[in-house]
Amino acid sequence: MRVLTVAKKDFKDAVQSRALWSLVAVIVLVMVFVTYGYTQIPEAFGPTDEATFGGLLFFTDGILSLFVPLTALVVCYKALAGERELGSIKILLSLPLTRSDAFFGKFIGRTGVLGVGIGVGLTIGFTLGAVLLGSVEVVPLLVFLLLTLVFVATYASIMVSLSAVTGSTTRATTLAVGFFVLFELVWDAVPIGLVYVVEGFSLPATLPDWVFLVTQVSPSTAYATSLIALLPDVAAELGASVVVGSGDVDPSSAEPFYVTAEAGLVFIALWLVVPLLVGYSNFNRSDL
Amino acid sequence: MTAIQIDNLSKQFGDVVAVDGLDLTVEEGEIFGFLGPNGAGKSTTIDIILDFTRPTSGSVSVLGHDAQREGLAVRRRTGVLPDAYHVYDRLTGREHLEFAIEAKEANGEPEALLERVGIADAADRKAGGYSKGMRQRLIMAIALIGDPDLLILDEPSTGLDPNGAREMREIIRQESERGTTVFFSSHVMEQVEAVCDRVAIINRGQLVAVDTIQGLREATEAGETLYIEASRIDEEIVGRIQQIDGVTGATIDDDRIRVLVGDRSKFRVLETIDDSVVQVEDFSVVTSSLGDLFSHYTTDQQEVTA
Repeated sequence: MRVLTVAKKDFKDAVQSRALWSLVAVIVLVMVFVTYGYTQIPEAFGPTDEATFGGLLFFTDGILSLFVPLTALVVCYKALAGERELGSIKILLSLPLTRSDAFFGKFIGRTGVLGVGIGVGLTIGFTLGAVLLGSVEVVPLLVFLLLTLVFVATYASIMVSLSAVTGSTTRATTLAVGFFVLFELVWDAVPIGLVYVVEGFSLPATLPDWVFLVTQVSPSTAYATSLIALLPDVAAELGASVVVGSGDVDPSSAEPFYVTAEAGLVFIALWLVVPLLVGYSNFNRSDL
Repeated sequence: MTAIQIDNLSKQFGDVVAVDGLDLTVEEGEIFGFLGPNGAGKSTTIDIILDFTRPTSGSVSVLGHDAQREGLAVRRRTGVLPDAYHVYDRLTGREHLEFAIEAKEANGEPEALLERVGIADAADRKAGGYSKGMRQRLIMAIALIGDPDLLILDEPSTGLDPNGAREMREIIRQESERGTTVFFSSHVMEQVEAVCDRVAIINRGQLVAVDTIQGLREATEAGETLYIEASRIDEEIVGRIQQIDGVTGATIDDDRIRVLVGDRSKFRVLETIDDSVVQVEDFSVVTSSLGDLFSHYTTDQQEVTA
């Protein structure tokens, strides 16, 4: 498999990134801090007085919602733009490899690097959590890990694809940071802002249903609600619900599909696939 | 069979015409020099041959395969030393070769290849710490993987000291003896002169000459020049010398006769003059370097088209 040849090479290269391991160190510190805090004084972190492994999963989910995008940005923003700017892509594509091998090999390689980095952080955090709690909930843990891997691949897809549309690392940085700021930092304000404008520059007492849908567009929000969709029992136990702007929507009572937590899964799938298609077709057409 | 066939190739970047209606044929087995000043369109042409860049019009066929539609088949049989490349700083020389060997689905020992280009002792060091010359050797080793049928070398001597450049020429000759077609570009005529069977000169994206080195010399009257001092120098003598077989031109130049010699031995020409035209009292020979030829083509041509 030629694409795996590229992925393997890319993994070996990118896994040596210092920036990656600095971020992993930060993730480990935050995980240890939160895990310890949650197991010792659960009432400070959530509605229940007793710490559970399921609760730990949901807290970790919150941490990763920030750190997966950040780490993906750092690890992937130069994936293709950097190779084009420097000229190492010429070594790669002088070999009997296609543009698709290069593009998808990069995507797989960077997903692997991110997976390993995040995996190290999670292993340390969850081991500590299991020891302190004295229990592990295996099925929710596996579901969580699988969903997180998909989330990691989704962000690798987004960042590698953004990196594929330009041959300049300056522009690639702008695109990656711009994406992060728009979809991860200010996105919650976007639907509220829309409502404000639509309602004649005032906020209604209850937010319309479509606000939920717009909020879900953010990949990390989609990741968070996907976890609720996949682990409904754990979520109910914790009283976790789908957050819409400043208010909450109870997913079980909502009518249309797009107000359910499953919408998160749909958005995650779209973020995984659509950037790859756009990024590849762009990369395939460009002069290197 | 032809190794590279370029038909009416053009490439525009915005308003800039990098390659302008280029036609070129490289035969299998020859060492072909691709010459031009910086910015003449050499690298763009090579980028199109390798499908890094898509042509605006025209077509390129390499080893019988269309460069754009069948690039994979082309690169399976081609070894490349690209221009303006960059190594993977965090990977070692050995890792570079392991990757390339796997990608080419070839059998090859990284050790032996690095040995051949003279950097085996640096195999396990990260390529980011290599000197420019070592990087050039590393990529040359990658190009040699799997005994390619065609070698495309873009400015292969860049970064090499004279010793390294000589070793590079030695490798090119060895590969050629094995039957490999070698296509290499340079902006320095002297590097091409030493190894090439044929040479193409391009300038401003257009082909200005393609010939053997001998042929180029003749075509530009810049072959060997004899300066003769004779017992009698006048227009009649010059006229008679011009009739001699192998003489492409004769003029009076500063009390001497300047005789341009084409494809005949200059001694034969000298003998003929001495025997049947006029007694030669003294003579000197000036061989114009290909560097002169090159600037003749590229500068004169520019003045003509400008």
